[in-house]
Amino acid sequence: MLIFDHVSRIYPDGTQAVKDVSVQLKQGEFCVLLGPSGAGKSTLMNMVNGLVEPTSGKIILDGELLTKKNLQMIQRSVSMIHQQLYLVPRLSVLHNVLTGILPLAGFWRSMVKSFPIKDQRRAYELLSEVGLKEKHLMRRASELSGGQQQRVAIARAFMASPKLVLADEPVASLDPTMSRSVLNSLKTAAQTNGATVLCTLHQMDYALEFADRIIALRDGEVFFDGPPSAMDADVQRRLYEIEHDNLEKQQAEPVEKPTRPLLVDIKEAVA
Amino acid sequence: MNTVSQINKKRDWREWQTYQAITPKTILFLFFAFVLLAWSGHNTEMDRAAVETSKAVLSAVGIGDSNVLNGVSKFGRQAFPIQFSARTELSRLEGVDLQHLPWFSYVEEGVSREYDVDTDSWTEEKAEYLVEPIGYLKKVLWMMWETIEMGFWGTMISIIISLPLGILAARNYSPHPIVYQIARGWLSFHRSMPELIVALFLVLIYGFGPIAGVLALAIHTSGVLGKFFADEIENAPKGPQMALSSAGANSLKVLRYAVFPHVLPAWIAYIQYIFERNIRTATVLGIVGAGGIGMELKGRWDLFDYDHVATILLIIFITVVVLEFFSQKLRNKTL
Repeated sequence: MLIFDHVSRIYPDGTQAVKDVSVQLKQGEFCVLLGPSGAGKSTLMNMVNGLVEPTSGKIILDGELLTKKNLQMIQRSVSMIHQQLYLVPRLSVLHNVLTGILPLAGFWRSMVKSFPIKDQRRAYELLSEVGLKEKHLMRRASELSGGQQQRVAIARAFMASPKLVLADEPVASLDPTMSRSVLNSLKTAAQTNGATVLCTLHQMDYALEFADRIIALRDGEVFFDGPPSAMDADVQRRLYEIEHDNLEKQQAEPVEKPTRPLLVDIKEAVA
Repeated sequence: MNTVSQINKKRDWREWQTYQAITPKTILFLFFAFVLLAWSGHNTEMDRAAVETSKAVLSAVGIGDSNVLNGVSKFGRQAFPIQFSARTELSRLEGVDLQHLPWFSYVEEGVSREYDVDTDSWTEEKAEYLVEPIGYLKKVLWMMWETIEMGFWGTMISIIISLPLGILAARNYSPHPIVYQIARGWLSFHRSMPELIVALFLVLIYGFGPIAGVLALAIHTSGVLGKFFADEIENAPKGPQMALSSAGANSLKVLRYAVFPHVLPAWIAYIQYIFERNIRTATVLGIVGAGGIGMELKGRWDLFDYDHVATILLIIFITVVVLEFFSQKLRNKTL
């Protein structure tokens, strides 16, 4: 249902973040994007959301070509779970979830925070699906723990019944137990709502555990594409190796700032 | 080897430049700052203020004589005891039932002095006065209440003006850069008009009374509030706004759900501060005839009734303290 057709992206500073990626996602797939930082995961994801425009290539969602014109319409069938969540801290849990259907809500009703009962019921259903209780409904989002906030973000993402959910490092700041249960919630929610999920992760073991399909990126190119069972130890080792190399390469890069030469230096230089 | 690479070569730590806290530049700067301060201080008679004040302090402990201290004691002698009672000539009152006087009030005999312009002399006449022990205090309290109401309505109208202007003056929610500039300019225009001067004009237009005062407060403080509102909107965290707008919500909805919840506590704090400030300013506005307790203060001051003035000042002081107490409590609750 989501097709990347020879998609590339070159940033203005010359970095080629994504190089000629062609991938086709199937309906209802839980697809994990793996890869070292700087591999182009986030760029690929933001291109679907319209935050980044592809330099070349086509992105087709449900048979519709993504263009500037139909971006707003497509945005309504795509939800995003951000790494920093971006919940509204001082808004109640219920209203944070309800902001998921804000684009569809009537203007005046939404201005006074009045949402149809039907939408409230849907929010309750989603919240209980991700494991939150009635007592949490009227608490401020900032009063919840990190894991609970992540669940609220998941519920918000599914509120508008999206066809596609993009999750950018959804468990980056959680401990392993919490991460597992949050990913579980995400997967269950996706299955019950029949949504396709494209999720970036940097933990290999979670990817192997939860993904229906793993797409590993390296330097903007598809490095591996297949089910977790096909991801053998050799592929994993090579991916980690790359990560290691990359880290060293990053550290080795000189970060010297141009400084104004001191008078002493010039004297020295002349002598 | 070229020059640049030699300059950028790493030096041994012993050759690193040391940091100096005080340099000749600092001393030169301090010298000029001192000269400027001295000049400006002389312009504003700060030197004379220091001399006179020290004289007053010395005179207070019995050394020498001071005009300042004499002035203070002259006011003090006339201001105390402060006046709570109201004394009105009976003949000027209508429909007073001498059998049923108001509570605690009594009739006193006294002398009424009247000035005759034609003969340039004072005529004295026996007269009866109705004395109400806390009559004047009641009057002042009522006027203080009126002053507080003026502050309240001034704040209300200023919120009504500044809320839309504040949103239009927030760079990220203004519909157009030109609208943004106009809104910002309008707000600074409001801010740049001092209440007292605006009140002078409004008294000309609307006549004496609280209308002029309320509008003067509203005009000035809407400029201040609008700027606060706009700055607060601009500084709200971008993440939640981005999350909602990338899901397709329009900017008013984003404003309502991602910005307002965040800025509300700060806005309430600003509004509280402006309300408090408006009440304090409203006490002064009466001096130009714009209603409130200041009108009474000015009238009594011009009649040299310093004991009445002292009552007014006491009530203003108590009001401000009580107000501060309550607004502090409210602030602790809302934040």
